[in-house]
Amino acid sequence: MKLEFNHNPARSWRDISQPVKPRAMSPEGRRRLVLATLRVGMVTAVAAGVLWSAWQVSRVVGEKAPHSSAPVPAELVKDIHLVTDGALDRAWIVDTLALPKNATLLELDLDQLRARVLAHGQVVTAMVERQFPSTLVVRVSERSPVARVMVALGDEAPQTLLVARDGVVFPGVGFKVEMLETLPWLDGVKLARSGGGFAPINGMATVAELLAKAKLEAEHLYQTWHVVSLARLESDGALEVRTQGDALRVRFSTSQDYFRQLARLDWLLDEALRRTGRAAAKIDLTASTQVPVVLAAVAVADAPRVTALNAPAPALARPFAISAFPHLSSQNKNKL
Amino acid sequence: MSSTPTFIGAIEIGTSKVTALIGEYNGRELAIIGCGECSSRGVIKGSVVDYKAASDCTHSALEQAERDAGERIDLVFLAQSGGHLDGFYNEAGVSVKSSDNMIDGDDIRTVCDLAKAKELPAGRMVVHHIRRPFRVDGRIVPTSPENLVGQKLEVGYWTVHGQEQRLADNIHVIRGFNLEVRELVLSSLASGHMVTTPEERQNGVLAIDIGAGTTDFVLYRDGVPHTTGVVPVGGTHLTNDLSIGLRLTEGQAEKLKLRHGRALLQARDKVEKVWLDGNFAIGDRQFPRYAIEQITAARTWELLEVVKKKLGHAFSPETCQAGVVLTGGSAKLPAIADCAAKVFGVNAHLGEAPSWITENMREPGYHTALGLLYYGVSAAGDRSAPARRKGGFFQSVSRLFATS
Repeated sequence: MKLEFNHNPARSWRDISQPVKPRAMSPEGRRRLVLATLRVGMVTAVAAGVLWSAWQVSRVVGEKAPHSSAPVPAELVKDIHLVTDGALDRAWIVDTLALPKNATLLELDLDQLRARVLAHGQVVTAMVERQFPSTLVVRVSERSPVARVMVALGDEAPQTLLVARDGVVFPGVGFKVEMLETLPWLDGVKLARSGGGFAPINGMATVAELLAKAKLEAEHLYQTWHVVSLARLESDGALEVRTQGDALRVRFSTSQDYFRQLARLDWLLDEALRRTGRAAAKIDLTASTQVPVVLAAVAVADAPRVTALNAPAPALARPFAISAFPHLSSQNKNKL
Repeated sequence: MSSTPTFIGAIEIGTSKVTALIGEYNGRELAIIGCGECSSRGVIKGSVVDYKAASDCTHSALEQAERDAGERIDLVFLAQSGGHLDGFYNEAGVSVKSSDNMIDGDDIRTVCDLAKAKELPAGRMVVHHIRRPFRVDGRIVPTSPENLVGQKLEVGYWTVHGQEQRLADNIHVIRGFNLEVRELVLSSLASGHMVTTPEERQNGVLAIDIGAGTTDFVLYRDGVPHTTGVVPVGGTHLTNDLSIGLRLTEGQAEKLKLRHGRALLQARDKVEKVWLDGNFAIGDRQFPRYAIEQITAARTWELLEVVKKKLGHAFSPETCQAGVVLTGGSAKLPAIADCAAKVFGVNAHLGEAPSWITENMREPGYHTALGLLYYGVSAAGDRSAPARRKGGFFQSVSRLFATS
């Protein structure tokens, strides 16, 4: 049996409670107390921060683990939303993407889909996004056609392609026929195959500029333009515009301002008709000061005539030259 | 060796001055790096009677010491004195349990607990349990009796206890500086540890620390403190007697005591007079040297007699062969060692600090604070030693790194 007795019944000085109230402390003692409290607080805060961070990390790791082992089934693509600044429509994007049936958003290879969209010449930029839970969003910016070109490949039937300002040739999709019919045809171009399509046409920028200027500044002229020939673009720097049925052929110089040339053309057409009663058949604007004009053989019925100038009509199809701006030269006026 | 040193403050809140020392302890060596002093206020006979005044002067001394050391104190060893302190002896004996009579750790713990199990009156608290040597079948064992063979194991404790409020007041003064009191050490033990050598303590020596308000004493026998005590009489009582006897102010009496006081009567000429100030200033007076010496000697003799009386049978010239060692501010009174020798019947001398203490710390006024540091460090080490031995694997490993 173990001996039981009272261990140290007498209280020791160590039993005295040492802490004192702040009012019993000296200012220096209070300052030390505050510093000590702050130190303890900071250590506690740091320790708590470390523990909290560790807990957060463990929680995140713990949360990720079940997700990776038991994935939530992804939803099927229910909708394809096309955002465009042009004429492409939803049907086109659905055909182009050709998503497999029962495809889910997460399964899709967005880079591959984007490449498919960009493969069409009408598309300049494309961005494909997942919009959860089940929508695929495609944002595209399109090329605007400035001209048409007729292409016949082998035995196939000729097909009409559109040409953008940057020379890219593409099959137009979604454009209204009325709008396409206003576009002039290109002539004198040699299309080179590139990949599945054609290489961009060189010099289209200057053609587009002429067409844009004409459409904007002289729409009545532009509406009559049927063909734009680039045959002499590289060799002479000249563009030839033909109206319907080749009634008028106008040669523009790419080195001169199109606005001035259009203005000269407009004046010449009017002036030739007014003075001779016949329409012009060929006008060459490539010369800087003189403009050779060939008049049509048949007179225009209601054409105004200059009564004061009763000069004999020039021979048929015989070219002559007039000053581009007769009010600057009285000699040319007399010659007419 | 510990890598981070501990800065220990040793504080003695005395009646005349407060002394604070700062020691840098690295686990093996202790270096004194700072000292602060301040005239004491609010303390009478070693007890705090004005908390605010005592706090102000104590904190001033602490701040001064911290400035001097350039470090902040981590913990405090506080000297305790005062007339409220008392002590008693209690001993216990147990029969050795083992059949082969070999003493084991349980026997030692049991007998120690029994010897310390004395109850105290209400409002009293233990300051120290000072163990005297073990006795195995009446044979004194200066060290541990473990594994010795004997039938009866005995041990006695000298228990020092004090009034709870007085102890708490002293502790709270330190705590008011937001410092923890790690050890409370009896002033006599601190100063006695400093002014006596281990050989003297082994042969028996009486160390008397005569302060301004109290006189602390400790009697060493067989290398350990045998009896301690505090007499609430000190140097200020000599001053007070001079003041009353010669009709002087306290300041004047203190001046006369320091200049002409003696612990033994030397003057033969009863008409020989001494000047109070000696500067021929108006108001300067003459006093008979004989009367001054007579008063201081009588009071000193009486004080030492009181100490002797309080020691009682514990003291005898045979058991105190190393004599009497005097220390404290009032021990600077001329002929006090001769007086002590006559009173106790043994040789007496003034205590000196060990030679390795720097010159500016060798004043008797620093002995208590110095002893406080060295005694406190060793006492704290002794107390933590058993706990360390009980430590597990991790504590052993941490100790290994701590000491490497």
